[in-house]
Amino acid sequence: MTRLNTNQWLALVLALVAAAYIAMAWQIATFPLPRPVDSDLFPKVLGFALLILSAFLFFEPPAPLAGADTIDPDAPRGPLLSTPWARVIVTVVAVAAYALLLVPLGFVLASMLLCVGLTVYYGYRRHSVTLAVTLGVVLGLYLMMTRVMDVYLPTGVLPF
Amino acid sequence: MDALNNLMYGFSIALEPINIAYVFAGVFAGTIIGMLPGLGPISALALMIPITFSMEPSSGLILMAGVYYGAIFGGSTSSILLNAPGVAGTVATSFDGYPMAKKGQAGKALAIAAYASFIGGTVSVVFLMLVAPLLSKVAVSFGPAEYFALMVLGLTAVVSLSDKSLVKGLIAAVIGVMISIVGIDMQTGTERFTFGSINLLDGIDFLVVALGIFALAEVFYMLLRGGDSKEGPRNAIGSLKLTRSEVGEIAGPVSRGSVLGFFTGVLPGAGATIGSFLGYSMEKKIAKDGDTFGQGNIKGVAAPEAANNAACTGSFVPLLTLGVPGSGTTAVLLGALLVMGVNPGPMMLEQRPDVFWGVVASMYIGNIFLLVLNLPLIPFIAKILDMPKALLLSLILIFCMIGVYGMSFSVFDLLLLLGFGVLGLGMRLFGFPAAPLILALILGNIMEESMRRALQISGGDWMTFIDKPISLSLLVIAALSLTLPLIKKRRRKA
Amino acid sequence: MKTSLKRLTLLALPAALLVGATASAQAQEWAPTKSIEFVAPANPGGGWDTLVRTVSRVLQEEGLAERNFAAINVPGGGGAVAWAQIARDNGNPHKLFATSPPIILVPLSGASRYDHTDFTPIARLITDYSIILVSADSEYETLNDLFDALKENPNLSVGGGSAPGSMDHISMAGAAAAAGLEAASVNYVPFSGGGDAMTNLMGGHIEAVITGAGESVGQLGEGSQLRALGVSAPERLGGGLEDVPTYQEQGIDYTFDIWRGVMGTPDMPAEAVAYYEDLFAEMLETDGWQRARDQLGWIDAYQDSEAFGDFLDAQQEQFSSVLGDLGLLRQ
Repeated sequence: MTRLNTNQWLALVLALVAAAYIAMAWQIATFPLPRPVDSDLFPKVLGFALLILSAFLFFEPPAPLAGADTIDPDAPRGPLLSTPWARVIVTVVAVAAYALLLVPLGFVLASMLLCVGLTVYYGYRRHSVTLAVTLGVVLGLYLMMTRVMDVYLPTGVLPF
Repeated sequence: MDALNNLMYGFSIALEPINIAYVFAGVFAGTIIGMLPGLGPISALALMIPITFSMEPSSGLILMAGVYYGAIFGGSTSSILLNAPGVAGTVATSFDGYPMAKKGQAGKALAIAAYASFIGGTVSVVFLMLVAPLLSKVAVSFGPAEYFALMVLGLTAVVSLSDKSLVKGLIAAVIGVMISIVGIDMQTGTERFTFGSINLLDGIDFLVVALGIFALAEVFYMLLRGGDSKEGPRNAIGSLKLTRSEVGEIAGPVSRGSVLGFFTGVLPGAGATIGSFLGYSMEKKIAKDGDTFGQGNIKGVAAPEAANNAACTGSFVPLLTLGVPGSGTTAVLLGALLVMGVNPGPMMLEQRPDVFWGVVASMYIGNIFLLVLNLPLIPFIAKILDMPKALLLSLILIFCMIGVYGMSFSVFDLLLLLGFGVLGLGMRLFGFPAAPLILALILGNIMEESMRRALQISGGDWMTFIDKPISLSLLVIAALSLTLPLIKKRRRKA
Repeated sequence: MKTSLKRLTLLALPAALLVGATASAQAQEWAPTKSIEFVAPANPGGGWDTLVRTVSRVLQEEGLAERNFAAINVPGGGGAVAWAQIARDNGNPHKLFATSPPIILVPLSGASRYDHTDFTPIARLITDYSIILVSADSEYETLNDLFDALKENPNLSVGGGSAPGSMDHISMAGAAAAAGLEAASVNYVPFSGGGDAMTNLMGGHIEAVITGAGESVGQLGEGSQLRALGVSAPERLGGGLEDVPTYQEQGIDYTFDIWRGVMGTPDMPAEAVAYYEDLFAEMLETDGWQRARDQLGWIDAYQDSEAFGDFLDAQQEQFSSVLGDLGLLRQ
């Protein structure tokens, strides 16, 4: 068995997505009043278009990956947590945590934590600068949105 | 000479000290709101209605219009510097603006954006002044069938926007349309692809996708590249000055972008975002060096910036001459005018000439303010790029999150934003272009809706798209723009 | 959420102290102890948002409320997102929201698990009416001309500003039924707003438009490209619409209200309901309200909690019968 190339892998994944999409498109309810084109036509066309395109992709010879050459091959090997992929994953987790904690913690606290935490994690060591800049930006934005523009932001545990 | 007299009258209103102050306050606030990703002119204006409540109508509209075009002006800044579109209309600016910033030409990119915006804004005010009443006829001549044809024409740009692999570009476009139709189907009220979640009933907001796929994905990508401290300060700003040949180079794109943008803006529903995309892809097709678009071509900054500001002014045509809003932003403006006791519509030019001509005159002043306000600030704003990268990346994340939350007040949208960030990274790593997805996202839904509306009106007769002359000619242009390049290529090979 | 409100109250205190003097004289049994969250179940800029912000502002300016009314936007799902949130807040006397026909229509079409019976009616405040427009050079001079034409050629399209099964469609279908047509036979074409529909009417792409009377005022009058055939009000409206006959004048026995009011959390204590009823009744009498109301083209239509509740039940019955005729009832 020959190994599949990148495009072929992608094509298979996309074909699966397309199949699932088509299956869902068939479950869209029909509108009780007669319509020349009902809600389901467009999704069905899109699903099949994606299916056909993934077939084309399967047979397209892969170009060198756009990102591959620029990902630094000798990025810090050191501790596992500071490898490039670990950084991305930690950031994704941190942002998700921010989203979930925004309301209970309040806007100012959650934003400060995320911003300072990530900056330190990315390896910037002048903590006073980090703190000052973050505080300035977060408070400035908060005051502008809540006081000037009258947008309600969650206050959380802080008194404002 | 009527127009001149009217304009003089307009200036006599716009030049009252209090109105000058309002223009300035408006464009200043607009610039700042525009720079913040997510927070767009719509919510800013809606929140300002109570402030304008007790104002003289001309002053109120002068202030609010200033916020609107100021935001479009300022939105280019974050598109160029951070790859995070400040407002929807400036997404296309980031295609070449951000690569320029990465090459160390942030200053030049910002300066071009400022000049192009200024010219686009000013040229379109001239149009607004001279032909607004005539144009209202053009605006209403676009029914559902014509919109469908226009969207098809817009979508043909997918081909020119996907340079490396056409298949991947088309896949991105299909996915973009798929995202655009999530939510309640306007034509029937049926839910589609909401997975039973009430959070998806209203569909997915354009800016959530754009910020995720551009800004967040860019942050992730920079993290992957590893170099935190290794990459020293980039000394990023570069020179603001344009050489004579560069001025010559962008003159064409700016003037074409201004005209195209204005007419796109006049059409209700099209607006700044579509205008800037059309401007961008048209220049890409025309330019001899079209294949360097996307890598930091100055024309790729100039065209969409001229177009989006012109479209912004253009969108005042249906508002002021017909009293119908062409976009979410002008809908809020219409509401504000009604509150102030002005009924925009065919009668407004006669009943309230002070409002119409005052606003027109104030736009000339506002655009000058924007230019003199922005140009000297460029070196300081561009300093953002000299920030330590670790800090900059965290701040971009925060900006995007705040922008999205301030727009929808929804934690769900924050998670969605993150999801699109991850999708954007994946697309980037596997060589899928983002621009076709964004374009299809903007056009897809309007295309489907207007197609079904047109068929509903015609009783299911598909000939309606061919029977109408405007629709037919737009479809022919679309077909030509797809086939001509192929024929050219054939010939060259032969 | 609880703590956050306490903090908000601190901010609101100075304002509350100022107004305390006038309000305390009335010796209420219940009074809010913290600032009131006033939810607009939509984005800034729409009808609900305008109501919420205008009411909050008038209450504050006129010094009527003892506590601050904080306007909060919870957009999504045509209101469903906000309703789901508020329904969880059982008995909370410090949370209100703006409401209008969608609170009945959206649940009837199956897009919300919560309907008006899940919440406490507080008061109906204002109303608007539907208006039917045709192009100024159209051959239809009266509503009956239009309905006769629709009877003959059901393909003629009537545009509206919202999805099928929502306000504009129901209003049109109801009027058509009253005029002796099949409700479902009207070729209703939904546009993305009343303005969008009116533009298409001016361009001659559709035959007629149904939209809110307030929204259309700017389009009518001398030299206008549109002509109004009728309003769904029980009697003629004032202002720029005094020349427009009602449906009933033209022999079509049908009225349709686009009302707006305020509702509260499920099982709100009766004393709190009484407090808010009085508060809004008082607000409608103030100069500040009347000024704002006239500018926005609203018509006062106050009902207290009980009357509003009965009205809502009657509306639900009326709407479900029209939706049933249309075949759009999903339950």
